[in-house]
Amino acid sequence: MTSSPPRRLQAPLHQWLTAHLAVYLDRLPESIDPTVPLATYGMDSVCALSLCGDIEEEFGLAVDPSLAWDHPTVGELAAHLAARGADAAHRWQR
Amino acid sequence: MTTAFTSFTELIQVRAAELGDADAQIFLRDRGGPQHLSYAALDRRARALAVRLREHGAHGQPVLLLYPPGPDFLVAFAGCLYAGAVAVPAPLPGDRGERLQRVSGILKDTGARVVLTDCEHAADTSLWLAVSGRGETVCLATDTDTDTDTDTDSGTDSGTDSEGAAAGAWTAPRTGPDDLAFLQYTSGSTSRPRGVMVSHRNLLANQDALRRLLDTSPQDRFSSWLPHYHDMGLIAHVLHPLWLGTLSVQLSSLSFIKRPASWLRSIGTYGLTVGGGPNFGYDLCTRRVTDAQLAELDLSSWRLALCGAEPVRARTLDAFARRFAPAGLRARSLYPGYGLAEATLAVSGGEPGRPAGRLTVDAVALEQDELRPASATTTITRTLVGCGRVLDFDLRIVDPVTGRELPGGHVGEIWLRGDSVAQGYWRQPLETAHTFHAQLAGHGGGFLRTGDLGAVHDGELYITGRSKEVIILNGRNIYPQDVEWAVREVSTALGAGHGAVFTVDAGREQLVVVHEIRAPHADEERLGALAGRVQTLVGQHFDVPAGNVVLVRPGTVRRTTSGKIQRTLMRSLFLRGELTALHEVLDPAVRALVTGAGLPSGDAARSLSW
Repeated sequence: MTSSPPRRLQAPLHQWLTAHLAVYLDRLPESIDPTVPLATYGMDSVCALSLCGDIEEEFGLAVDPSLAWDHPTVGELAAHLAARGADAAHRWQR
Repeated sequence: MTTAFTSFTELIQVRAAELGDADAQIFLRDRGGPQHLSYAALDRRARALAVRLREHGAHGQPVLLLYPPGPDFLVAFAGCLYAGAVAVPAPLPGDRGERLQRVSGILKDTGARVVLTDCEHAADTSLWLAVSGRGETVCLATDTDTDTDTDTDSGTDSGTDSEGAAAGAWTAPRTGPDDLAFLQYTSGSTSRPRGVMVSHRNLLANQDALRRLLDTSPQDRFSSWLPHYHDMGLIAHVLHPLWLGTLSVQLSSLSFIKRPASWLRSIGTYGLTVGGGPNFGYDLCTRRVTDAQLAELDLSSWRLALCGAEPVRARTLDAFARRFAPAGLRARSLYPGYGLAEATLAVSGGEPGRPAGRLTVDAVALEQDELRPASATTTITRTLVGCGRVLDFDLRIVDPVTGRELPGGHVGEIWLRGDSVAQGYWRQPLETAHTFHAQLAGHGGGFLRTGDLGAVHDGELYITGRSKEVIILNGRNIYPQDVEWAVREVSTALGAGHGAVFTVDAGREQLVVVHEIRAPHADEERLGALAGRVQTLVGQHFDVPAGNVVLVRPGTVRRTTSGKIQRTLMRSLFLRGELTALHEVLDPAVRALVTGAGLPSGDAARSLSW
């Protein structure tokens, strides 16, 4: 695991991830608990790969197809992406 | 023109001599530029590989091909043919789960003593062989001499000195039309994989059948995101372009699912004319391609958008045609067809340029195995999408119980005879005799039992289901996929989920409906009401009691890699009490049958919150 990812980057990432997952999972964003495994919300392999595609387009990062299974909650995904330098705040200000 | 070849091996050599530096395949990578493989490079690398394979005694033996998507697979496939070996395409085993079990099953079933892969996967593959107790199996990486070639965008064909020398040492095998070209492992059960034995004669016959159905020519250019180990991917999208002497542009199914627009974009970029896949791929495009992406697409070159490998839905085709019409897609380009690995691949397809046939039939009559077009007085109807004409087979519609041919207008099992019908299942003489050498009463033997149900109407084949999965209740035939599809219409909470419908024997056959539900805020009362509506639907429209409804979380209903619902697997999970229900209604006799579930006794219904 990566240690101490920059925390200031993580809040906008939470927001970005939750907004996208809410669409794939057909749920309200506020109903997604960042500590609950996404499989609980019905994530399947097509949903997980769709998220990979969107992350690559948005942040210009290459991610492993197993990303959303290796980091199975919004919190873990955000920490992982922040550690790799994804900056949602910056992107959103474009 | 091409029917004179005695083997596919000879065909590849002739194409290489004719076409030289022309591209045989372009692979669009997720990152980095496209990889090109010319006909000349394919031939040269296949010769070099064949020499190595012969040194390992692979002539006449099965050789497992474990490759990521990309042109190295095609080189390995051709290399096997050039060595007179039997190619066995399979997915990479991965490190866990069903796919690992499936490939391990294939390894065991083939008894392959040589496995081919690329440098990147050689270490993992050797480890897997050792763990599988097959450490003596030789694992060869086939891209060792050509790394620098395939990394460049153009000029792939300079080759290396050692490879050139090896290629020069090659001599053609004496392959005849009845020698096996490859084994196609269909998506059958994990525990009992079945390798369909395809001879050179079968492969060449089916290529010609494809040409006649699709009206293809060397002017066509092919497009595919299907895996190369998938029968529709391999025969129609990898080998058919080669047989014609033209180009195929491929991308991985992973790339496609991540970015469906990338597939559609490649059609315009390369002016591609033929290609497609299963129903779900078209659904994915309709759902995920954005308006901005749509505005940049040019689909006007797309002559035939092939639809097969799973039941073709009229609604999916209509939605796709509407969504992509602004990009130049013609509705008549959507081309449903029917085929199966046991017949090499292609069996039927429409007339290119004409819209696929639709037939609205009396649903009640259909349940009685009769294909009766709906009339003004028909109360319940069902619309079937036609799978076109049958050109190169002797096709019969047969009563699967009596083995007698049925008169026109009746639904029965599809039986086939012809040069494309494969040789049987590898090392399974009993199953081969049953499936490939069926006797048709009064007409002799040698028929393939497809296990698919259908009927012919006005010269067009209509597929209505699988005979093994047909549910017979109260003397009626119920097609599980019909119930599964209908349940989706009950509520939007059910509309996005998959379902599996099957029967269990609890003194009498009982229907069980398992369906995924997306209703994050539903309480027990709402779930109960939804289950009740499902029961009403089945009882009202299918005329059978639906005593058992199990609502489950999305992702619970198991499907194969090609998207087929695994009803038999779902049935055994259900019977073992391994399905976690959000809400279930069970008949007491069925409840008694389900073991190990730890269910509260006496309750007619239960719920879990989530």
